[in-house]
Amino acid sequence: MYSIKKLSFNSLILLVLTCLLMPVAFAHGVDANTKQFLLANQDVAIGPFLYIGAKHMVTGYDHLLFLLGVIFFLFRTRDIVRYVSLFTLGHSLTLFLGVLGDVAINAYLIDAIIGLSVVYKGFDNLGGFQRVFGVQPNTQVAVLIFGLFHGLGLATKLQDFALPQQDLWKNLLAFNVGVELGQIFALLFILLVLNIWRRFDSYYSFAVITNTLLMSGGLILFGYQMAGFILAV
Amino acid sequence: MFMSETNIPVQSLKTLIITMISAVLLAFFVLIAIVGPAEYAIDPTGLGKALGLTVLAQPIEQSQKSVLACPTGNDLLDWQDIVMITIPAASELEYKFYLDQQAEMAYAWASDGAQLYFDFHGEPVGNKTGYFKSYQETTASKAEGVLVAPFTGTHGWYWKNESSKPATVTLKTKGQYRVKGLI
Repeated sequence: MYSIKKLSFNSLILLVLTCLLMPVAFAHGVDANTKQFLLANQDVAIGPFLYIGAKHMVTGYDHLLFLLGVIFFLFRTRDIVRYVSLFTLGHSLTLFLGVLGDVAINAYLIDAIIGLSVVYKGFDNLGGFQRVFGVQPNTQVAVLIFGLFHGLGLATKLQDFALPQQDLWKNLLAFNVGVELGQIFALLFILLVLNIWRRFDSYYSFAVITNTLLMSGGLILFGYQMAGFILAV
Repeated sequence: MFMSETNIPVQSLKTLIITMISAVLLAFFVLIAIVGPAEYAIDPTGLGKALGLTVLAQPIEQSQKSVLACPTGNDLLDWQDIVMITIPAASELEYKFYLDQQAEMAYAWASDGAQLYFDFHGEPVGNKTGYFKSYQETTASKAEGVLVAPFTGTHGWYWKNESSKPATVTLKTKGQYRVKGLI
């Protein structure tokens, strides 16, 4: 267990590191070139949509932070595959239903909820629910439900562009497959680093710090999006 | 299905409280000091400005809203187009016209504030090599003259405001051209 002194010293170092890294990371939307393409495109374009989906996931720090939280205490490949599949099932479902059903939710609000999903997972990884409430909410159900919200986020971003209605599902499917490819690609990197780090004791002694940072990162995303929501209204 | 296979170490209440307070404080600090200034130009601590982050939040909106057609008084009789262009602090922009070869354009511009580095230049139409011809390149607060286009293409100014305050350029033009505007 951590002494307060040790914890606050480590926090300080990581705080400084985080602050240095933060400004780089805050611009997750759709970049100018992609925007231009999406607005101009009127056809079925499998390749571009695959790429946009993959890029969105690889550069999507909100989705990646959540995934990091999900796999942080998963050690068996079988478990990782199962949880990531549940996340995929969740976000694919709402991505399709959202775009095809024209469900539009404010992008800031949905991204704020995605931020909260990261906070939730960080708190969960600290055993917070067991300690404070005496129960462990089902982690698989949670990852599925939050997957649904992440999918709504993806759907909301795609809907900002008047996508051609004809053969919409083809582009959508390409985007979704792209998202999954990007997710696998990003996961491989995260797992590579985690698996190396797991060999050292520091992984376990840093677990508290890492998940504190995860919570903090989620709160930052939440505040960032809520500020955007308030200023945009 | 309802059993959790994950083996999450349950932290003590003390650790939980410390982590939550740290997470909130860290998030609050980053939001107030860094994200706010860089994304929304909200900078209550002044730290964002000190780190130079506030400029990130400004250029897009300002450069889009910076062109205000504002013809006044007698100038309207003497000139065809009068435009006021605001160049934010420590930034640069270009304003262009399309002229055919040998077409003439009379111009006069003046900055209300700092001296600006500028390059008055032209690019031949259809040229993809990035070639351009400079007509005048210096630092000044105003310039005027008549351009006779040496080739068909876009001709205009690149201005760079190196000062810490926004500068507004009033550009007056007359002749045979088509306004392309901000680039």
